[in-house]
This record gives sequence, structure tokens and C-alpha cells, in this order.
Amino acid sequence: MTLRADVLVVGGGMAGAMAALAARAAQARVVLVRRAPAATALSSGAIGIAPDLWAAPEEPFAARLGTAAAARRLAATRPDHPYAVVGASLERLEEAMRFAAGELAPVLAPPGDRPLFLATPYGAVSVCAVAQRTMLAGDLATARGPIAVVGFRGHLGFDARLVAGGLARHAAAGAPEAIAVEVDLFMREEQSLARPHELARALDAPHGAEHAGEVLRRALPAGAGVALLPPVLGLDPASLAAERLSRAAGLPVAETLSDVPSVPGWRLQAAIDARLAASGVEVISAEVEGDGPGCPARAGELEIEAPRWVLATGRFVGGGIVRRGRLVEPLLGLPVTASEGGASGIHLAPRPSATLTARERRAPQPLLAAGVRVDRALRPLGADGRPVHPGLFAAGAVVGGHEAAADGTGMGVAILTGFLAGRAAAEAP
Amino acid sequence: MSPYDVIVLGGGVNGTGTARDLAQRGLSVLLLEKADLACGASGANSGMIHGGIRYMLSDRHVTELACRDSGYIQRIAPHLLFRIPFLMPFTSRGEEATLVERATWYATEVYVGTYDQYQPLKRGKPSTRLSAEELYRLEPALRPGLAGAVTFDEWGIDSHRLCVLNALSARAHGAQVRTWTEARELITEGGRVAGVRYRDALTGEVGEARAAVVFNATGAWSPALARRNGLRVPMRPGKGVHLTLDRRFSNYGITCTAVDGRQMFLMPHENDSIIGTTDDDYYGDPDDLEATYDEVEYLLEGVESLVPGVRRARVTRAWWGLRTTLYEYGRNEDALSREHEIIDHAAEGAGGLLSIVGGKLASYRAQSEEAADAIVARLGRAAPRSRTHEEPLPGGGHVPDPAGLAAAFGVAAPVAARIVYRHGARAEGVLRLAAEDPRLKLVVCREEGVLAAEVVFCVRHELVRRLQDLRRRCRIGVGACGGLDCARPAAQLAARELGWSADQTRAELADLLELGWRERRVVLDGHQLAQEELLRGAHQGVGRL
Repeated sequence: MTLRADVLVVGGGMAGAMAALAARAAQARVVLVRRAPAATALSSGAIGIAPDLWAAPEEPFAARLGTAAAARRLAATRPDHPYAVVGASLERLEEAMRFAAGELAPVLAPPGDRPLFLATPYGAVSVCAVAQRTMLAGDLATARGPIAVVGFRGHLGFDARLVAGGLARHAAAGAPEAIAVEVDLFMREEQSLARPHELARALDAPHGAEHAGEVLRRALPAGAGVALLPPVLGLDPASLAAERLSRAAGLPVAETLSDVPSVPGWRLQAAIDARLAASGVEVISAEVEGDGPGCPARAGELEIEAPRWVLATGRFVGGGIVRRGRLVEPLLGLPVTASEGGASGIHLAPRPSATLTARERRAPQPLLAAGVRVDRALRPLGADGRPVHPGLFAAGAVVGGHEAAADGTGMGVAILTGFLAGRAAAEAP
Repeated sequence: MSPYDVIVLGGGVNGTGTARDLAQRGLSVLLLEKADLACGASGANSGMIHGGIRYMLSDRHVTELACRDSGYIQRIAPHLLFRIPFLMPFTSRGEEATLVERATWYATEVYVGTYDQYQPLKRGKPSTRLSAEELYRLEPALRPGLAGAVTFDEWGIDSHRLCVLNALSARAHGAQVRTWTEARELITEGGRVAGVRYRDALTGEVGEARAAVVFNATGAWSPALARRNGLRVPMRPGKGVHLTLDRRFSNYGITCTAVDGRQMFLMPHENDSIIGTTDDDYYGDPDDLEATYDEVEYLLEGVESLVPGVRRARVTRAWWGLRTTLYEYGRNEDALSREHEIIDHAAEGAGGLLSIVGGKLASYRAQSEEAADAIVARLGRAAPRSRTHEEPLPGGGHVPDPAGLAAAFGVAAPVAARIVYRHGARAEGVLRLAAEDPRLKLVVCREEGVLAAEVVFCVRHELVRRLQDLRRRCRIGVGACGGLDCARPAAQLAARELGWSADQTRAELADLLELGWRERRVVLDGHQLAQEELLRGAHQGVGRL
């Protein structure tokens, strides 16, 4: 059986979803093929787009660069970063952010004028331009203090003292006072091995959030402005666990960002899947094979013909870029660009891992930023430096030049490039 | 402060083994280790109490001592050893073996058969000869064209745990053990060594300790220590690199020949596989060592010659250390003697200082006994003879049944097995913590089978001062997850026990992550790269570490 569409998107994470939804919103017929949940499901749950990387640690939150300004400055200093490569299209960043938040409205809050400064389980602060509704009240720039960081005595995976102690370092920047509180929640007779998703389900359940809120109300110190909880505020957005908890506790409630395993990440992926299903995008769960637009692609039993493709297959976690002795892009065999020292190019793809990495762990690691090189219109370039095909686009982590962990821009690249690539694929002749 | 009888410098097997022997004989002992126990060669070796079959022709004494003494190690720490049967495959160039090939097989059988005479000393099984058909049935991953194999037996061990148990035993007999405390200078008085000045790296405390004898067991650091005091320790440090694979990749140990003819191996070891090793003269700073791309390729190529699928294996880390080989000019590294020597620096005008060079992990106990005898003689004291071969190490009294413990304490059987492996009879003490506080049943590392209870037990009872010490106590951060699952929970647990502030907890986490990065950087490939992406996302992206 052959499916015919205008746009084929490969990859079901944030980048692929944005591409598919943006193309759909421009009236294209879209097929999206994905073989597994994406790295998005393992993400922190919030969207870092462009933090102010140049601010001193004590610089007040309110004085730091906003998202658009930080993105422009990043583009100016990093010519290989996708924010620079897309050129003038960087001006559509805010439009892309609003589009993403709109499409994922049950889970994402609309972006405000200022970025959000959100706590993490490591006692660190992460700068996010867009966050889930369940995280908003924890914005250190605007939260009314003191913040009660709440640990569940039965859940060893979150240490309220580590979080509260870590936030104290940001007091000079404007973070309110934070106190650690431990409450007796989720202690069962046999033990409390409650993993994050088990805690989340317990809150989703009828009366679960209300009971937790009651316990909080009794346990929290009087005058606490916000309760900051472990990142487990429900798996099902429709259950409104955070709202119910907040109402029962009598104060605003927020969850921190998450490391792995990530309930908020899973929630985000689930919201993406739900929106794709409802939007008229045909979603196929299969591994795809093919040679590019103009030739039929095979996905399981199906053949898909589409004149434009968006490759949003991710980097190492997603499998869009792999290293088997050398760096390759396995689906279409596109040349992969790597950097070593100050140089960069596809000739570096076979270089050993040790030379493509820096000894200093915290330094930018070129190996982790390897990917496909694209032109201004997000079309992958071949060995000759020209677009491989006028109808082939790439978005997200499969595009080289950015390293999510070090830059803080991972989801931002996914959203911007996904949105632009989707629009371009829909509007291309 | 009153003087000690002996100050032992170095927390490897020789240092901890000698401290144990001396303390057991009733002497007062101070052990100073500048980092953590087993941070040198004692924590970077192949993880076998190696009978030394290789040295049988050149150094028969080494082989005999190693086999005899590993029999004692089995007696005093039965839980810590596990059998690794090895295959030594024969290659064949054609259907019909040539005369030369048949002669080589015969010679190998005789050689390994001769090694058999030592096997009973260490309770090893005698060697056998496998036909091609038997060989491929046992080890299907081997490349085609092999004519058969000879088998021999080795024992695997976690050498970090061996050092810890020796240190705990020394402490139980009254020794003082201080880790992260460096002996900066020797104190000399009247031409004799009278003690050391030390500095605690974590607290900054400086102090002096006096003793009539100082025993230098600082391994690869001992030449520098000697030089600083105008003395000489004759050592040719030999760098050895190993690789760890994420799972058991072969059923048995397999000896392989590397591109330059050196013998190397792939073997199952605890929950994963180890490939080793190299041997190269090293002239640099022992504190500044790293594996290179060349060394990694050399090892993978060597194994690939017999097990082609190894290129698809997931290498999770490379690790390395320096052998403390006795100095000799003019011989290739592999050909150097593995004998040990105890040097009395009185000949150089520094009476009271003794150093140990060379030796093998398998004979550490005998080496320690010899050192302790020499030290007792220098002290001119009457002291009983060594009993280190008789008294079990902590937890070595009996090996509990893991299935029974699993049922009794409600933990998964593989986890109980891991705890019994690491702690022997003390496993019950570990599990009792979980019984008293059920939250501690949390599995912190699925791969290595580490419960929160074990982390707490190690921190409380096993000389843990830093988060990275847990790498050596209970495998935190050294599994395939690279710390993604275990680093933050372990840091949180240690912080609660040791009273760390949030800042200190983050600093300790960062330190642990540095060590992991250095080990992973040179082997990033395949699925390990996906793991690295997740690790950086969690630790740098979310942790800002």
C-alpha cells in the first residue's frame, strides 16, 4: 500500500513534531514516521532555548539577557551553531516558541517576556524559555519566598537539602530563601521504592493529589510562598495533579526539572504524541528505509511517496548519527561534519573519539556536536557543499554545530529548526 | 603524640597487607595513603590472582609463590574469588596440521601440563585439551579455523575490595589507617629515619608521626619519594591499560595474541568483561596517566584476531595503572622479572626506611609477611610469626547463601549475590540496614546490584571520605551507566552520612564525574556515545556540574 503525502517527517521527538505540525498548519499533507520515543522523553521537561551564557553568577536574574537577545549573541559568537546558520530566520525564534507552546498547550505554558530560572534536583538552576505549567510557580526570578523545597521521606531519589542548599548560592542573583522540608508521603508498609513514575501515578489517582496537598498544608512552615516538589507531578496532564495539589495545600506548587528517568520528559513526549494524533498528521510507528525525496520510502508494510522530507532523527540517543569506527548518518548516508581543534569538516568524521573530545570534561565537546551540515534553508549539504536535494530538510539534533548539554539550547534548536523546516517543506514548490 | 612502631606509606595491597600483618602481631602501626586505598596498581590490575603461567620458564619461583599464596587468599577471603577458566586456542593454517603446528600444540600442552603441578596450590582444575568441535561448542564466538585449545584455570578477584579488607583487618588489630593523607617528608634524626610529616588533603591538617621504621609501599610513587630524600628505589614503571565491556562477552577467558606477538586476553569478570593488557615503560607523572587511542586500538585488534565480533561490543571504559616492576636495563617490558624485592635503605645511610618494589598481586600476602618479618627484625623486637594466612579477612569467615539472604531480607537474588560477593559474611550486616530502614532497599545501580543500604554500609564502615572512594568500595560510577543512575543518589546518601553541605556534595559529584569522563573519553563509540549524550544531558544540562 502506498501513502502519498506532501511532506514526510522522519523522527518523532520535538524537532520532528514541530516540523510535522508546522507543515500541517500550512495545509500540507504530512506523514511522520518514528521508530521509538525520542530523546525528548528523557529530557528535563522544560525547554532551554538560549540562556545568557555571559552573565556572572551573581548577576541578578532580572538583568540577564532575554531569550531573543541571547540567541542573537550566541549566533554572533558561534558561526556553526544552527542559530547562526539560519541567518535572518533567527528572527522567527519567538514565533516558533509560541507555536510550540500553542501546539502543546495542555502541558506547556505560553512563553512570557522573560526566561524562567528553574531549580533542578542537583541544587542547580537552569534557564528555560518555555516550561511546563507544572514548573511555572518555581521560577526563582518571580517566586514569592520563602520557597519550601519538599522531599518525600520515602523517596530517596530527591534530596530537598541538596536542592535548597544549592539554591542558596543564587541568593545574590535574586533567588528567594529556600528551606528544606521532609514530609511523610508515599511511605508504604513494605517499603518505599517508589520510582518517579510510581509517585506520579499515585498523584494522578483520584484523591492522590488532594491527600498529598493536605499533608503539605500541615507540614509546611507558615508563610511559605511556594512549595517546590520533586519532578513527579503526574504523568497524565488531564488529571491536573499539580492544580489539585496546590488547591489542597493552599499555596502555589511547582516541580523541579528532572534528570533520567524523567516524568516531565515523558509527559512532554506524550503531549507531542497526542497532538500529532489529533492534528491530522499520519503517524506511522516503524523504522523507515529510503534514499530521499523523489524515491518511495519503506516503513514496515507501507510505501510512502513524498516530494519533501524532513530528517529529524536526532543524534546519538535517537540514532540519527552513529559512530561505528567513524561518524555516519545511517538513514541517507549524508556526510557528517565533526570538529577538531579549530577545524571542522566532513574529513574529520573518521577521526578517533579522543581527538574529537577535549580533556576538560566541562569544555564543549565537538564529538557530541557532530551532525549534518545544512544551508540557510536547513537543507543538508553533500560532500560538494551543495544541498543534496532541493526537497530534503533537516531539523533538531541531527543537525551539527550544537551540543545540548553544554549550550543549553537543545530544545531551542529542535523547535526553531523543526518549525522552519516544516514551513519550508510545506511551502516549497 | 607517642610514636608508633611502624609507619606504612601506601594503601595498596603491600601497604595494607603489611599493616595487617604487623598489627596482628601486636605492633602499633600508622598507615598513610595519599589518595584512597587501591588507587595505584592494586586497583588497576587485571583482576586476577594470576598464577603467572607466563613466568614459568624464566621465573619459576614467581609462579610457584603466586600459586601457593593465592591458595591462602582463597582461605582467608573465599567470597572474593571466582573461577575464570581460560582457553588457549590453537590456530591452524590448513586441514592437516603441519609438523611444526603439531609440535607447537604438544609443547603447549606440556607447558600447561607442567603448570598443572601448581594448580592444586591454588585449587585450580588441571588443564584439558579440547578438540575443535568441543572448543566451538563452548565458545561459539571464536573465529573459524581453530584446531582446538588447551584450558587452564585462573581465579578472578576484586582487588580494591582485597585492599579494603586488609585495611579494615589492620584497623581491627589496632592500626590507624588514614586515607587522603600524604606523607610529605621523611623526618631524619642522627642519620636514621624517625618518622614522617604528613598533610590531610581534605582538612588541611598537618602533623608529624614518629616511628622507628618507615615502610615505603607507595608503588609507582616510591621512586619519587626516594629521590626527594636522596635515595634510590630501582623501578621500571610499566603502564598497563585495560578495557571493560558492558556485559559478559565470552563464556570463558580467551588468550589472544596481539599484533606484536604479546599474549593478551578477553575474559568474563564479575558482571562484565575485561580486555587486557599492555606493558610499556612509563616516564611521566604517575598522577597524570591516561589511556591513548593507540592502546585501545591495540587491545581491540588483538582480541578481534580471535573474536571478530568484539568490534560490535560496547566498551564502557578504559582504565590504567603502573606496574612497580623491578628495574633492569636492556630487557623488553614483558621479559622483566616479576620478582619482588625489599630494600633496606640503611645501605644508603637512611636506616629505618624499607621499600618494596615489584611483585605480584597474587603473592601480596607472602610479600607482606616477608616485609613484616624484616621490619620486626629491624625493630629488634620479639613478635609472633605471621598468621595472615590463617585468620580470615573481614567477612571471610564463611560465605552465606545468597538465595537464603534474598528470601530472608526481601531483595532480588542477583543483588544479594553481589552483596555476598563484595562482603561475604558481612552481607547480613549490609542487609540489616535495609531491614531497619526499608527506604535503603532502593537499587542504586541495577548493573552492579548496589542497594542504598550497601552505600550507607560502606560509608559508615569502610574508610570512605570522598564520593569517589565508593567506586572502589561498591562499584558506584564504574558500570555501563557511567553514573547516570547511581551518582546523584550515592552522593546524596554519602552527604547525609558525612554531613556534607550542598556545595560540597556538588563538588564531590563533579570529582566523580571527572574520573568517569577520563575513562570514557577514549572509548566513545556506538551505543556508548548515546549513553554519553544522556550523561552530559543529566550532569551538565540538568546538574550544571
